[in-house]
Amino acid sequence: MYTILLVGIGGFVGAILRYIIGGWIQNGFVDFPVGTLTINTVGSFFLGLIMYLSEYQGVFSDQTRILLTIGILGAFTTLSTFGYESFRLLDDSKLTLMAINVVSTVLFSMMAVYLGKIVALSVSSYLLGGMK
Amino acid sequence: MKTDQTAGSEENCMKKESTAILLRIFIGESDHYKGKPLYMHIVEMLKAEGIAGATVFRGITGFGKHSRIHTTSILRLSTDMPILIEVSDIEENIDRIRPKLDEVINQGLITEEKIKVIFYDSDKNK
Repeated sequence: MYTILLVGIGGFVGAILRYIIGGWIQNGFVDFPVGTLTINTVGSFFLGLIMYLSEYQGVFSDQTRILLTIGILGAFTTLSTFGYESFRLLDDSKLTLMAINVVSTVLFSMMAVYLGKIVALSVSSYLLGGMK
Repeated sequence: MKTDQTAGSEENCMKKESTAILLRIFIGESDHYKGKPLYMHIVEMLKAEGIAGATVFRGITGFGKHSRIHTTSILRLSTDMPILIEVSDIEENIDRIRPKLDEVINQGLITEEKIKVIFYDSDKNK
């Protein structure tokens, strides 16, 4: 029950963050879903960072990880919005923009996870260096 | 109101021409009055006032005072879509509802123009 509550609290925070940050980024852009692309990329970075930090350094406990990853980042990032907005581009015959959205979302999200891993490695090296 | 009536070639076919006033009320989808969507409140009020006719249109893209473009294509921009209510009636009826509209509309725009109305009233397709 406690775990479900953590997921719910995290989801509450993540959804609000997505609404505010996504709206702020998207404001002014009506032809391309730059808000969703940014949200998914940023979320992927933090997911990579948190998971690799946990793996390398055990920084976050199991419960904290659930709150941050499944809760906050789960609600923050959005595959359904990506699917909807990509389809709308296709539906509006904007094939180039649709292809850019699909390719850049997949590519940037994976690169962001990789960047998260690099940062986690750097932090781990720094922490290990400090212990010597 | 000056009205010209023309009998159609077939029986029961009547065509009326007249002049009237057209109001175009631009509001937002998220506008509410006493917990009810504002467009619904306005339409019910117009009906109660005996106005000749009103139609509500939902816009698919647009922007207003704050210059934020709303569109259904981008999920985050799909809130508060534009709503347009078109109302047409004779001038004295429009004058009667104007103060009532002032009471309920906080943000929005109303345009007004004189129009020629061609009204068809036939039973032949029923």
